[in-house]
Amino acid sequence: MVTELSEATFQKFIDDNQLALIDCWAPWCGPCRRMAPILEQVAKAMEGKAGVAKMNTDDNPDLSMKLGINAIPALLIYKNGVPQPPLIGLRAKEEIISHLNALL
Amino acid sequence: MKGFDVAVIGSGPSGIQAAIHSSRKKASTVLLGKPSGSAMSGTHVENYFGIPGKADGDGLLRTGIAQAVSFGAVHIPESVTSLSVTPEGFRAVLEGGGEVTARAVILATGVSRVKLGIPGEKEFFGKGVSYCAVCDCSFYKGLKVAVIGGEAEAASSAEMMTRYASEVFWVSDDIRAADYAVGKAEAAGVRIIRLKPVSIGGGERVDSLNLSDGSSLRVDGVFIELGARSAAELAMDVDLMPEVDDTIAVDGSCATTVPGVFACGDITGRPWQVARAVGQGAQAGLSAADYAKGTAQ
Ligand SMILES: Cc1cc2nc3c(=O)[nH]c(=O)nc-3n(C[C@H](O)[C@H](O)[C@H](O)COP(=O)(O)OP(=O)(O)OC[C@H]3O[C@@H](n4cnc5c(N)ncnc54)[C@H](O)[C@@H]3O)c2cc1C
Repeated sequence: MVTELSEATFQKFIDDNQLALIDCWAPWCGPCRRMAPILEQVAKAMEGKAGVAKMNTDDNPDLSMKLGINAIPALLIYKNGVPQPPLIGLRAKEEIISHLNALL
Repeated sequence: MKGFDVAVIGSGPSGIQAAIHSSRKKASTVLLGKPSGSAMSGTHVENYFGIPGKADGDGLLRTGIAQAVSFGAVHIPESVTSLSVTPEGFRAVLEGGGEVTARAVILATGVSRVKLGIPGEKEFFGKGVSYCAVCDCSFYKGLKVAVIGGEAEAASSAEMMTRYASEVFWVSDDIRAADYAVGKAEAAGVRIIRLKPVSIGGGERVDSLNLSDGSSLRVDGVFIELGARSAAELAMDVDLMPEVDDTIAVDGSCATTVPGVFACGDITGRPWQVARAVGQGAQAGLSAADYAKGTAQ
């Protein structure tokens, strides 16, 4: 399951998941819409290994600015609360999964 | 606005062949796009059945368009800037400001091989460099941006960015977008800089775009919008989900999963060859004509 995060729940999700993947997206962004079903598959494949969530940049502009997001879709990755280099742009399911597995 | 049975988007070998077969089937057909944007333009074809030696790509495109027109197709050499679904079928908006409607649409826009490839492009991707103005416009509110590209997509992106950024530069030494699109961008306040971009500069983030005359623009963002609106974006316009590699999946009749939308040529996958493109074009033209005339089995 892919949880939708807000400014209020963002930090708790990172704290609760040793490995966290957060897809920053917006409704008008075509590649973001294409990422949505891929993210569902990633969440399923990584169940028990990584937490997968998304955050609407349009609804959370302050948080997006704080995070320095300026291109979406952006996949933010946190390991034990520490930010890892993000994956920017549309990615294949296999690429995201192998990237996450390498961080386990 | 003119209504057709079939609108073919793309005037390369695949789209032209689709228009030939569609119009031969007595479906009213409009062929959209600039042949100069075809992968075949400026090249020679050496391995096409029945043509000995090196065949001039532009010559083949010219002859093909003349054939399609001789069978009744209308050719409009303009890029499509957006596509939408209407109760009767589809509406394509053209870069020159016009529109066409059709009961069926064929996507035949080829794959884009144009790359900018300037220093700074890769390093600053996600740090001020973007390939999707529509996606990332809102992150540049009140900032200065440059849009790079000479075609319709750059024109419409630059115009749109004026609603967000404090200053928008449109940088290209080869503007090919229709005068209407250029005029619209200028009227919105876009500053056109007719120079080549040579590198993108910055530290943590983009802070400048360096130009071929040695000058430099102070910008916070650089949007790279080469070519015309891509098949993947046009597909999304009509709720057709492209594959992750931007190809459009089709069945044996060149139909996509959206009724009335067909696709052919390089955009459906490899091998990227003229023979495959025209083969699929013929099939797509026949299928779209059948669909439009309500004769699809
Ligand atoms: C250097 C080179 C050499 C090649 N040599 C060979 C060869 O020897 N043999 C061979 O078989 N193949 C060769 N190819 C490949 C061949 O050219 C392609 O496979 C073929 O052109 C694909 O046809 P297409 O109609 O699918 O796409 P394209 O030919 O690329 O045509 C796409 C069309 O869509 C238009 N378009 C794009 N976006 C829009 C839009 N938004 N609105 C409207 N129109 C749009 C473009 O302007 C263009 O008219 C070569 C390619 C290159 C680059």
